[in-house]
Amino acid sequence: MKRMRWLALGTAALTAATLAGCSSSAPADGGAAAKELTVWVMGDSSAHFDALVKPFEDKTGIDVKTVAIPWDSVDQKFTTAVASGDGPDVLQIGLSKLRTYADSGALLTLDDAALSGHENLTASNFIDGAAGDATAIGGKVVSVPWVSDTRVLFYRSDILQAAGITAPPTTWDELRADAKTLAGRGDGSYGYYIPQWDSALPVIMTWDQGGDIVDSQGKIDFDTPAFGNAVDLYTGLYADKSVPTNSDFDQTQGFITGSTPMLVSGPYLAAAISQSAPELAGKWNVTTVPSGAKDTSLLAGSNLGVWGSTKNKDGALQLLDYLSQPDVQVSWYQSDGQLPTVKAALTDSALTSDPMVSVYTKQLASSRLLPLVPNWDGETGKALLDSLNSIVLTGANRDDALKTLFTTTAGTPAN
Amino acid sequence: MKNRIVPYTFIAPAMLLLIVFGILPIAVALLVSFTDMNLAGLGNWSRIQFIGADNYTALFADPDFWQALGNTALFAVVGVPSVIALSLAIALALNRSQGRFFRALRSFYFVPAITAIVAVALVWGYLYNTQFGLFNYLLSLVGLPPVPWLSDPTVVKFSVGLVAVWRGLGLNVIIFLAALQGVPKEYLEAAAIDGASGLRRIFSIVLPLLRFAIFFVTITTVIAWLQFFDEPFVLTKGGPLGSSTSIALFLYQKGFSSSQFGYASAGSVVLVAIIATITIVQLRLRRSDVDH
Repeated sequence: MKRMRWLALGTAALTAATLAGCSSSAPADGGAAAKELTVWVMGDSSAHFDALVKPFEDKTGIDVKTVAIPWDSVDQKFTTAVASGDGPDVLQIGLSKLRTYADSGALLTLDDAALSGHENLTASNFIDGAAGDATAIGGKVVSVPWVSDTRVLFYRSDILQAAGITAPPTTWDELRADAKTLAGRGDGSYGYYIPQWDSALPVIMTWDQGGDIVDSQGKIDFDTPAFGNAVDLYTGLYADKSVPTNSDFDQTQGFITGSTPMLVSGPYLAAAISQSAPELAGKWNVTTVPSGAKDTSLLAGSNLGVWGSTKNKDGALQLLDYLSQPDVQVSWYQSDGQLPTVKAALTDSALTSDPMVSVYTKQLASSRLLPLVPNWDGETGKALLDSLNSIVLTGANRDDALKTLFTTTAGTPAN
Repeated sequence: MKNRIVPYTFIAPAMLLLIVFGILPIAVALLVSFTDMNLAGLGNWSRIQFIGADNYTALFADPDFWQALGNTALFAVVGVPSVIALSLAIALALNRSQGRFFRALRSFYFVPAITAIVAVALVWGYLYNTQFGLFNYLLSLVGLPPVPWLSDPTVVKFSVGLVAVWRGLGLNVIIFLAALQGVPKEYLEAAAIDGASGLRRIFSIVLPLLRFAIFFVTITTVIAWLQFFDEPFVLTKGGPLGSSTSIALFLYQKGFSSSQFGYASAGSVVLVAIIATITIVQLRLRRSDVDH
C-alpha cells in the first residue's frame, strides 16, 4: 500500500513538473544574443535566404537564424509572438498586414534617428510610395521596404491572334470587348479570368477609372462614381459570360489550356507558367494593366520590421541595411524571383535585360498601395469581394449589395 | 486516514489536465468576451477595456454569425443521422463473418479516419474540381452537365458534409463492432430457433443491446458536428460567400484572421452553451431510459 502511495505522488509530481516546463521561458543571455539574429521570412523554405545572408554573417560574425513561416500560418505565428512577447529579431511583413502589426505595438519605430548611419535605408532610395511616410502608420514608420510585387496583364498572343485581336487591350473597355469575342470561341472557353479571392482587382479598376476608395479625410469610401464604374466593369465581365463562375477554377491551368487567355496577375504567375508549360514560351506575354482614366496597378510586396524588444537592435539594423544594398536586392531577385524595392536595383541590367521584367518595373513606376486599413484581408477587402461576388454569383440586387458594402466599410481609417 | 488521499492522487493528473486545458480556457474566454481585446490589447494589456455585453449584442446582429449557425445546424441535422445509420449498417454487415476478407474490410473502413486531413482535402479537392474533377468527368460520360461541387452556395454544403461523413465513419464502425462482440450468441440462436428472421433479430435483439453504444456514438457525433471545422477549412475556407462556414470556422476567422479576440470569445461562449445544452438534454433523455 505504501508503495502505491509513493507511485501516486510520483505521478502527480511528474505531471506538475511537465506543466511547469511548458511555461518556462527562454534564458536571457545578453552576451550570445548580440551575435545572433532570428529572422522570420515568409514562404516554405529558408534555403535561399540563408544563402543570401551568408556574406553578411561572414563579415559581421552575426549568426542569422532563418525561420521560414508558411503564408497560411503567418497570422497565428505573429499573434502567438505578440501574446508571449517572444518574437524574432527581424521579420518580413506582408504589406496588407502592416497596419495590424504596427497597431500591436510589437515593432520598433524606425524613425530618422533610429536609421541614422544606415544610408541604404533612406526612404528616397526605395520606389515611390513604398517607404517612409507612405507606409507610416499613424505617423510612425515601423518598417522598411524589402520586396515588391505588382499586377500586370497576362495574355495568350496566339489565341488573341487567332481570334483576330492583333494587340492586347490597352483600355478596360477594349478588354471587355475582346474578352467577349474570346468567350465566343465555344463551350468551356472564356475571355478573361477574375479570381474570386482577389480583392485588389476591383480597387485597381477603381483607380483606373480615375477614382479612389479613400476620401479626403483618409477614410474608406466606396460610394463614388468611379467605384460605380468599376463595379459595372466587374459585373459586366460576368454578364457577358466572359469569366468562369466556379470558385475552384485554376488560373494557371486556365491560362495554359487557353480556357482563359487573359488575366491580371502577379509575376509569380509567370514563374508558374514557365515551370508547368515551358513549351508555351513565345505564345504568351505580359503588358501593363489596361487603362481607363489612369493606368495604375497594385503595389504589393513585403517590408521588414524589427521586433521592439530585440536584444540585438544594432545587428538587426545592420541586417536591414545589408538587405537594402542594390546588389543584395538583385541577387535576391536572381535566387528567389522577387522584385527589388530599391530603385538602383530595379535599373540593374540583370532585370532590364528581361523584357517581361521591364514590363513589371514599368508597371511598378505606376502603382500604389492598397489603403493601410486595420484589416484589409479580413474586413474591408472581404466586404468588397462579398458584395461584388454576391451580385455576380448569386444574382443579389446590385444596389442592396453595394449599400451593405458602403455601410459596413464607411469610416474605416486608412492612414 | 493515509489511504484516503490515494484515490485523489490518482485522479489528480487527469483533473489537473482537465482544469488547465478544459475549464480554465472556457473561464478565460468568458472573461475576454466582455472586453474589446484585439492584437494591440494582447501586446499591451493596458489597452484592453471592458465593454460589457457589447460583443454579444454585435454578435447577435451579425448576419455572418447567423449564417454560420444555420450552416452548422444543417450540417448536424443531416450529418449526425447519416454517420450513425451508415456506420451501424457497415458494422452489422462486417460482423456477419470473421473471414479474412471481412477483417481486411474493417481496416479499409478505418483508413479515412486516420488519414491526414490535408491529404484528404487534396484528393477530394481534385475529385470535386469543376473543370478537371473525376466526378464531373464521370457525369460527362453519361451525358450530364458538370456540377459546381464547391462553387455553388447550396451544393457546397453537401459536398463538404459528404467528406466529413466519409471521414467520420471509421471510428464509429470500430465502436459498433466492439459492441456487437458483446451481444450474446445464445439470444440470437434462441431467436433463430423460434423462427425469427434475420431482420427481426437485428431490430429486436441486436439494436436494443447496442443501446449504450448508440447513445455514446450519438453524443460524440453531435459534439463533433457542432464543432465541425476541418473539412470546410481545408476544402473551401468557408466559401463561397460564407455558405460552408461552420460556427467553429467563423470563430477561427474572427479570432485568428481578424484578431478580434473579444468578439470571437463571445462566439465561443455561445457555442459552449449550445453544446452543453444539447448534451444535457441527451443525458436527461437517457436517464429516463430503463436499463436492461
